[in-house]
Amino acid sequence: MNIVAVTACPTGIAHTYMAAEKLEKIAKSLGHSIKVETQGAMGIENELTPAEIKAADVVLFAVDIDVEKRERFAGKKVVNVPVQQAIKDPKGVLASLG
Amino acid sequence: MPQDLSFSFPLPNGLHARPASHFAELVRRYQSAVTLQNDRTGRTANAASVLDLVGTDTRSGDACRLAISGPDEVQAAGALRRFVAAEFLHCDAPLVAERTAPAEVVIPRSLRAAGLAEYHVGEIACAGIGTGAAVVVSGFEIVDAPPGAASSDATTEAGRFATAVEKVEADLQGLLAQARSTEAAVLRAHLAILRDPLIGDTVRTEIQGGATAATALHRALDVQRARLGSAESAYVRERVLDLEDIAARLLEKLEGRSYVAAVPRLLETSVVFAARLTPGQFLALDPARLGGLVLEQGGRTSHTVILARSRGVPTLTGVHGAAGVGRNSRAAVVDAELGLVVRDPTAGVAKFYNRQVDKLTAISRALLARRDASAATADRQRIEIGANIATVEDATAAFANGAEGVGLFRTELLFMDRATAPGEDEQYEAYAAVARAAAGRPVIIRTLDAGGDKPVPFLPFPPEANPFLGYRGVRFYAEQRELIGTQLRAIVRAAAHGPVKILVPMISRVEEARAIRGQVATAVAAARSAGHPVPDDIPVGFMLEVPSVAFILDELCAEADFFSLGTNDLAQYFAAADRENPRVAELNDPLQPGFIRLLAHLVTGVKRHGRWIGLCGELGEKPAALPLLVGLGLDEISLASPRIPGLKAALARLDSARCRELLREAVACPTQASVRALLESAGRPVVPLLTADLVLDDVVAETKEEVIRMMVDALHLTGRTTDPAAVEGAIWAREDTYSTGFGEGFALPHAKTDALAANSIVLARLRRPVEWGALDGKPVDTVILLGIRASEHGKAHLETLARLSRSVARDEFRAAIRAEREAASLVALVQQAGAAFAVAKPPVGRESVVDGG
Repeated sequence: MNIVAVTACPTGIAHTYMAAEKLEKIAKSLGHSIKVETQGAMGIENELTPAEIKAADVVLFAVDIDVEKRERFAGKKVVNVPVQQAIKDPKGVLASLG
Repeated sequence: MPQDLSFSFPLPNGLHARPASHFAELVRRYQSAVTLQNDRTGRTANAASVLDLVGTDTRSGDACRLAISGPDEVQAAGALRRFVAAEFLHCDAPLVAERTAPAEVVIPRSLRAAGLAEYHVGEIACAGIGTGAAVVVSGFEIVDAPPGAASSDATTEAGRFATAVEKVEADLQGLLAQARSTEAAVLRAHLAILRDPLIGDTVRTEIQGGATAATALHRALDVQRARLGSAESAYVRERVLDLEDIAARLLEKLEGRSYVAAVPRLLETSVVFAARLTPGQFLALDPARLGGLVLEQGGRTSHTVILARSRGVPTLTGVHGAAGVGRNSRAAVVDAELGLVVRDPTAGVAKFYNRQVDKLTAISRALLARRDASAATADRQRIEIGANIATVEDATAAFANGAEGVGLFRTELLFMDRATAPGEDEQYEAYAAVARAAAGRPVIIRTLDAGGDKPVPFLPFPPEANPFLGYRGVRFYAEQRELIGTQLRAIVRAAAHGPVKILVPMISRVEEARAIRGQVATAVAAARSAGHPVPDDIPVGFMLEVPSVAFILDELCAEADFFSLGTNDLAQYFAAADRENPRVAELNDPLQPGFIRLLAHLVTGVKRHGRWIGLCGELGEKPAALPLLVGLGLDEISLASPRIPGLKAALARLDSARCRELLREAVACPTQASVRALLESAGRPVVPLLTADLVLDDVVAETKEEVIRMMVDALHLTGRTTDPAAVEGAIWAREDTYSTGFGEGFALPHAKTDALAANSIVLARLRRPVEWGALDGKPVDTVILLGIRASEHGKAHLETLARLSRSVARDEFRAAIRAEREAASLVALVQQAGAAFAVAKPPVGRESVVDGG
C-alpha cells in the first residue's frame, strides 16, 4: 500500500514526531510505502507534494488539531485517528486503512 | 534676601527616613530656617525635622521647593543645591521590591499531591522558606492618655519628659553599640525620631497648656498618627509603627507601664506570628532561632520588614488573623516563595518543604560561589570587574557584590561641603581604609577632579561660561601645587596597605603627564622623609577622556603605567554634545560607529605598548555594549557595585572570539541605527539544552507529581527558571490533556513557557517505576522533560527536540538510555539523538552542547 500521512499535536513538541517515527517504522516492516509529514512546532516538515498525494492509496491523519493546507487532500480517502493512537498501536492504525 | 530652590524630587524611592535624615542633618548645620514645600501633595515641612520631611509624602519626580531664610541663607542654599544635585541620590537605599504573591495562590500539583489541605495566604515581604515551632508575639495598642493623672507644674513635667528622652536614648545607644549595618540604620532612624523637634515641640506646647508629660506625648502621637496615617504612600503610613515604638519606650519611662508585650524567648527554631511587631520587638527575638515571620500588618517598607529582610528571614505580611493562626498551631511552614503559611504540616508536606529548603540552600550557595569566582567569558578570557566608589562603605558593599578591585575611587566627596581642604592625615585615613577593605585587591584612586562643574569652596576659581571645557582636573594641578601635593602624599602612604594605583583626570597633553609624574615623585620623597613607608613604583595612569589623546598615544604610553577610559566625558567631548542636555542626547550615544572606532583605536594603541587599560564610564553598565567591550580586549571594566553580579553572569555567557568579530562588524557599520541593529541581531546567548547537572539518576519518588517537581527543581537549581511553580503549572497543563507516557516505561513531559530562561532538557531515571497514566498502561521509569520558551523563535532547539522525540520511539535508543551509567555519556547520547547540524551564524553566546554538535 502507498500511504501518505500527517501527524500533529497541540504543543507540537513530542507526540507529532514520535507518531511519525512509529508509523514510518511499522509501515516499512509491513511492506508498505509511506511518507509522513509533520506539522509541529517547527511548522510543516517533510511536506507532501501534490504528486505524492495523488499517487497515494490512502491518506492518514494522526492528529489532535486541524491539519494545515487540508485542501491538498480534496477527493482522497482520508482516515482520521488521534495522535496517541498512532503511538500506542501503529499496527492497528495501519491495518484500519484497509 | 531669602533663598529659593526648586527641584524635581530625584530619589526613586521617595523621601524616606534615610535620605530625610541626611537632609535634615545638613539643614541643622545652618542657622537659617528651611522649609520644604511639595507642590503635588500640598504638604509643607520644617526641613530640620525628619518626621516632618517624611510626612510630606514626597515621591520621585514631585515638584519641590525649598525656602531658606536666615543669617547664613546664601551658604545654606549653596550647600543644599549641591546636596540635591549630587549627593541626595546616594542616600537612597532601594526599598527592595519583592515579588508579591497574587491574592489567589496557585498551589503546585506536587504540593497538593503531598497532602496540602489548609493554608493561609499572605504577601511576600522577604522570600524564602522557613519552618519551625509556632510562637505568637502579642500585639500592642497605645490607648488614650490615662485619665486623671495629676499634673505637677510645667517645669517639673518638662523635666520628666527630658529625663525620659535621655533614658530611651541611652537604651537605644546601648543597642546601637552592638548593632550592624541595617539594624544600626534602623536604630539611628529611631534616635532621630526621638530627637525630632516635631515631637518635642508639641510635647512642650501641651505641657505649657497644663498637660502632664505622658498626656502631652499621647497628644503629640495622635497628631503625628493622623498626619502620617493619612499619607498616600504606604511607606509614610508605615512610619506610624516606628513612632509608636518610640512613644511606647518613652511612655514606659513616664508611666512605668508597658504597652508593648515582651517577646518570648525562642527555645528552638521558630516561626513567629504577630498581628504587628515593632522593630524593637523584632530585635529582641533570637536571630539564630528565628525561622520565619508571619504578620498581619506591616508593609514592605516597615522597619520590621526591612530588618527581617536584612537577616534573610522568610516573611509574609497581610496574613489575616496571623496571631490566631499561630496560637492554634504547634509547628508551621512559612512559604514565602508561593506566599502562604501552613500550620502543622503533614509528613508529606513536611517532606516537600524539606526538599525545597535544601534546594534554596544549594541555590544561595551557588550564588555565593559565582560571586567569588573571577570574571571571565565562557572561553575563559579574563576581564577584571572593578567597582566605582566614593567611600569605604561603597568599597565594602562592592566587595560583597564580588568586585575584584576598585576601578575608580572618586575622591571629590572628601573635598566637598567644607570650608578648608582635608589634611594629609584625614585623606590618608580615608584612602588607607579602602586599601585595607580591598584586602590585596587593586585600588585605583583618582586624584581630585574638581573644577567649574564640580565646585569646591576653597578653590577660588572664577565662574566659567563652559565649565566642562574649563579649568578642571589636572589643568589646575600646577597652580594648586600644595593641595595636590597633600593628596598625592596621602595616596602614596595608603599604598603601604595594598596595591594602590594613581589615576589622573583630564589629561590632554604629554606635558601634563610629565608634570604629574614629577609631582608624584616629589610626594613619594616627602612622605618617606617624614618617616612613612612608601612602596616603590606605585603605578601612575591617565584617564582617556579628552579626544586629543588619540593622537599622542605613543608618547603618553611612555609616561603611563596604565589607562582608564572615561567614556562619559570622552563621548561628550568627542561628539561636542553636552551630556546633561537631553536635546543632544542622541549625539552623545556611545554606541555610534565613530565612537566605537575611537575606542578601538585607543585600546589598540595602548595595547601596542603592552599597557593595562580599563573602562570606568557608564558604558560599562550597558548590557548591550558588553560584547563590544569584550571584543575591544579591555583588561578591566569598572562600574557601580549593584550591577556587578549581573555583569559577571552576562560575561560568563559570552564567547570572546565572537565578540571580537562583532566589534569588527560594529566598526564597519555606517550609522548608529546599524550598530544598534547589529547588537540586537547578535541575540541572547544560548546555553546548552542539557548539561550533566540536569541528569537525575536513581531518583526515589512515589508519584508522577513528585517526579515532575524534582525535575523542575533541577531547572530552578541550575538557574534556568526563577519561578518553578509556573514551570510546573505549564507541564501539568499539557499533561492534563493526555499523558505524555508513551509506553515502554518512557515519558516525555513537556511545556512551552517563558518562565524558563533557556530551552532545557531534564533526564530522570527512577529507582522504582511510578504510575504515569501511560498509553500502554505500564508504569514509567525513564522521564525526559522538554522545556521550550514560549517566545522561542530559533529553530535549532525545536529541531533537536523533534529528533529526540523520534529517537525515543526507537527500541535501540531506549535500550541505550537504560544501559548507560555515566551522566556525561547520557548527555552525549541525547546530543547524538538530537543530531548535529550547523547553524549558519552562531550567536554571540557560546554554542550549545546539543545543537552545536
